[in-house]
Amino acid sequence: MQMFFQAAISGILMGGVYALIGIGLTLIFGVMQVINFAHGDLVMVGMYAAWLLFSHFHVDPFVSILLTGPLLFLLGALLQRAFIQRVIGEAQENQILLTIGLGLLLSNTAMLAFTSDYQLLTTSYSSKAFTVAGVSMSVPLFFAFIVTMLVALALYLFLMKTDTGAAIRATAQDREAAQLMGINVTRMSVLAFGLGSSLAGIAGALIAPTYYIFPQVGHAFTLKSFVIVVLGGMGSVVGASIGGVLIGMVESLAALYLASGLKEAVVFALFLLLLLFRPSGLLGRART
Amino acid sequence: MHRYVLPIFLLVIAACGQKSEAPGADAPKALNVGEKSAVAGPIKIGFINSITGPEAPIGENLTNGALLAVEDLKAAGVTVELVKQDDLGKPQVAMSAMEQLVTGDEVTAILGPYTSANSNAVAKLAQQYKVPQLIPVASKDEITRQGHTYVFRLNAVSTQYARSLIDAAFSFGKPKSIAFIYESADFGTSVSTAGKLYAKEKGLEIVADETYQKGAPDYRSTLSKIKAANPDLVFMVSYVADAILIMRQSREVGLSPQAFLGGGAGFETAQFESEKDISTNVFSVTQWTPGMDWPGAAEFAQRYQAKFGKKPTYHAACTYASLMLLGDTASKVKGDREKLREALATQSWKGIVGDVKFENYDGFTQQNRHEMAVIQYQNGAGTVVYPAQRAKAKAVYPFPGWK
Repeated sequence: MQMFFQAAISGILMGGVYALIGIGLTLIFGVMQVINFAHGDLVMVGMYAAWLLFSHFHVDPFVSILLTGPLLFLLGALLQRAFIQRVIGEAQENQILLTIGLGLLLSNTAMLAFTSDYQLLTTSYSSKAFTVAGVSMSVPLFFAFIVTMLVALALYLFLMKTDTGAAIRATAQDREAAQLMGINVTRMSVLAFGLGSSLAGIAGALIAPTYYIFPQVGHAFTLKSFVIVVLGGMGSVVGASIGGVLIGMVESLAALYLASGLKEAVVFALFLLLLLFRPSGLLGRART
Repeated sequence: MHRYVLPIFLLVIAACGQKSEAPGADAPKALNVGEKSAVAGPIKIGFINSITGPEAPIGENLTNGALLAVEDLKAAGVTVELVKQDDLGKPQVAMSAMEQLVTGDEVTAILGPYTSANSNAVAKLAQQYKVPQLIPVASKDEITRQGHTYVFRLNAVSTQYARSLIDAAFSFGKPKSIAFIYESADFGTSVSTAGKLYAKEKGLEIVADETYQKGAPDYRSTLSKIKAANPDLVFMVSYVADAILIMRQSREVGLSPQAFLGGGAGFETAQFESEKDISTNVFSVTQWTPGMDWPGAAEFAQRYQAKFGKKPTYHAACTYASLMLLGDTASKVKGDREKLREALATQSWKGIVGDVKFENYDGFTQQNRHEMAVIQYQNGAGTVVYPAQRAKAKAVYPFPGWK
């Protein structure tokens, strides 16, 4: 039983970070109907930003999210204004090609700048853990989870309680109607993409102390976050949060009860089953 | 039709004329060098390596080792033209690179590729095209077990990784059970399969057998499962980054066996060594370390450090040693593929990886019986602790637990 709790807890902690990446992707999709295949690469940029700040200026990664967050916001806003804006409402294959291309550009630029060596961000607490009732919890992952929850809460409040948040939601619901109501949808799109990138960057910075950093690290996250977003329902922020934690747990429990080599397979098998029975995802609206 | 005959005839004449005049005639033409004292042209050697792609961080070590060898060969009067090809870490790319090198560039011999999967694919072509291939670091047993007469391997095979480590553990204590955790690709499965066979032979009980996908960020549940099985030895096979993650997370979940045995690769990198918190007292096995008293090894390590700003890995050293003997031998036979094959099969060399001789034994063909070193990380440095006659320090056994 203790092993079950151990696996479940580490799955939930890891899932928190997945959720943060997923929320960013779902936000972008919700507002623009564009699937951002460069999302994992934005996570990678966040990891490198945290690593640079740590190795050159000794800024703790948990502090540096105050910098990496806004930095990635600007990068995302810039990408949206310069590239993504042009393909909104265009054929889906064009959007996919564009975002995949942007992702390749980001990862190859990173390779040029930092070489393809694995970088490690080793803080004094990178491999520390504490034990609660016989279940050990990774210190950096535990704090990452708390920060994730705070960020998700802040985002939720922003979307629900502020006028700008309402405008973003309105744009997501119906772009044209929102425009008719006097909402500047272009500005909302820039904002949404910026926020989405910022979340990806923060997630990158948060896992940097426990993971390793290399230019292609984003690909795994792009795929995973895509699964999370579809699982939770495309465009649903709450759905992405639940989806992220769920995927983290399923991976962890599959490794415990089946075989660790099979955990990805289990995730995708569940994913396919869900698509069969609930094609719109856990919390998605059925599309007409 | 016959209006083409004259121009073709003239072309042939021109080509022949060029041939006899050119002082630096390359590989196949160098055959008739004997008749006059023409300066031997550069020996062309094809070098297939993972220059980009996921294996690039390790591929870089091979490149550096080869560069140093080209310099040293030149200083010794042997000019080698290294024709480099990138295989992106993929066997099918390695195979087309091989065809290009053999038929297009007409190289005398092939060095590489880096990974086991790629080396195995290229070996079949080497045999087919009758081009000598020297494999510097790929360790999968099968490669030199197929009776290929044109394929030679310098490094020790996967079986040896597991044997050396388990032998070492038995020389330090009396382990009774063992758990395996390894990455699910060629290298991980072949080393651990050999490990499992040898463990059974030695009477160890296998209490856990776990694979994982390279690049996964979370091994905690797998490690707690292993912890619950309470093994005396934990045998791990991983690449660079996952090795560090596994040890970090082992510490997190409090996995503390009598010994952590790291099956090479990721457990013997400078990065792993520098992570003192988690690397201390971990055992690893290596093809090469300057700590083994082979002639020129320490000096090679110094020069490499000075030139590339990092410590040489075994990949660098084995590639260096391979190219040194390959270049030298190829130039002695004037770049003739057949004579080179014969020379490689019969001669022997001394170098920074010890004595090299390609022998047939235990079902292996043209396989160097390379001696492996078991190291343990003590005070942030990999120290040779086995075999006993080469040991530099006493092994810390059993594992004293996490701080």
